[in-house]
Amino acid sequence: MPRELTSKLVRARTLIHPGAFNPVRIHSKRAPSARHIRLLLQPGISLFDGLVKPLAALGVKNASTTILGGVFESLEYCVAPPDPTSKAIVAYSAPIAAGRSYMVFGNATLGKDADGDPLVHCHAAICTEDGKTKGGHILTRCAIVGAQPISVLVTSLDGIELRVVFDPETNIPLIQPLEESSHG
Amino acid sequence: MGETTVVESGSMGRIAYARIAPNEDLVHGVEKLCLVEGFRNAFVRGALGSLVDGCLGTVDGKYVQVKGPAVEIVSLAGEVRSQDDGSLRASLTGVIADPEGNVYGGPFVAGSNVICMTFEVTLEEWLPASAS
Repeated sequence: MPRELTSKLVRARTLIHPGAFNPVRIHSKRAPSARHIRLLLQPGISLFDGLVKPLAALGVKNASTTILGGVFESLEYCVAPPDPTSKAIVAYSAPIAAGRSYMVFGNATLGKDADGDPLVHCHAAICTEDGKTKGGHILTRCAIVGAQPISVLVTSLDGIELRVVFDPETNIPLIQPLEESSHG
Repeated sequence: MGETTVVESGSMGRIAYARIAPNEDLVHGVEKLCLVEGFRNAFVRGALGSLVDGCLGTVDGKYVQVKGPAVEIVSLAGEVRSQDDGSLRASLTGVIADPEGNVYGGPFVAGSNVICMTFEVTLEEWLPASAS
C-alpha cells in the first residue's frame, strides 16, 4: 500500500541520480512583471492546441497556466514509476486511458521542446470515466475538450524562455528557464 | 507585517520561474527561490513536478506518507510570507498522485517532501500596500 498514516514524521530519502550532482539547485529567471490572460479552451480541440494557438496569436510563447476545471471528451495520462531500464530513477508509464474525464485542477507550463517547437507540460487531478479520482502527467495532444469551454488563467512569462534541455544529473530532458533569445 | 491583518491591499510585482533540482525539499525550495529573487511575499501561480515520497498533514496533526518514487504533484497552491521574526515561510497545499495514479490532498509538510526529478514553479511577487 503506497499510503500510510503516521503520528511521527518519516525521515525523507535522498536518492542517487545517474549523473553528476549539479551544485546549482535552483535555476531561476525573473522578469519585471507578468501579463495575465483568461483563455477559454474550445470544444473539440486538444488541450495542446487550445493553449498553444491562441497564445501564439498574442505573442505568448512561455507561460504558466492554471486549468480551472472542466470536462474532456477523452483524456490519457501517465504515472512515473521506477525506470525499468535504470537510465533514470523514474520514467513515464505507458499512457492510461481515462475516457471521458473531469479535470479537477491542472497546471500546465508552455515552453519549447529541444527543437524549438511549442511544448506543454501538464499535471492534473482528474475524475475518470470509471468514477475514480486520479492524477498524473496529462498527454496534452490527446486530451480533447468536451462540449463546454474550459477556463484557463495564463501567467505569461515575457522575457523568460522555457526550453527543454537535457539534464545530465537526472539523465532526462527537462524544462529549464533561460534568457529569452531572439532565435527559435 | 502581522498575520492578524484580515484584509491586505496590494499589487503584483515581479515574476519568477524556477526549476528546483532533485533532493531539495519542496517547501524550503520555494522559500529559497524567494531568497534568490529577493521576494518577501509571493503567490504560487503555477507548479508541477515530482517528489521522491509525499508527506501531507492531516487535520488531527498526523501525516499522510505516500510512497514513491515518483509521487507526482498534480495540484499546488500557496503563498510565501515574510514573518515578524525576519524569516520567510512558504505555505503550500495541494494534491499528489502515487505511482498508481491514486490521489491524496493536504498541506505539504516542510522538510518532508523531497523533489524527485524536477519541480517547476512560477511565483508572482506580492507587494502589500502597507509595506515600506
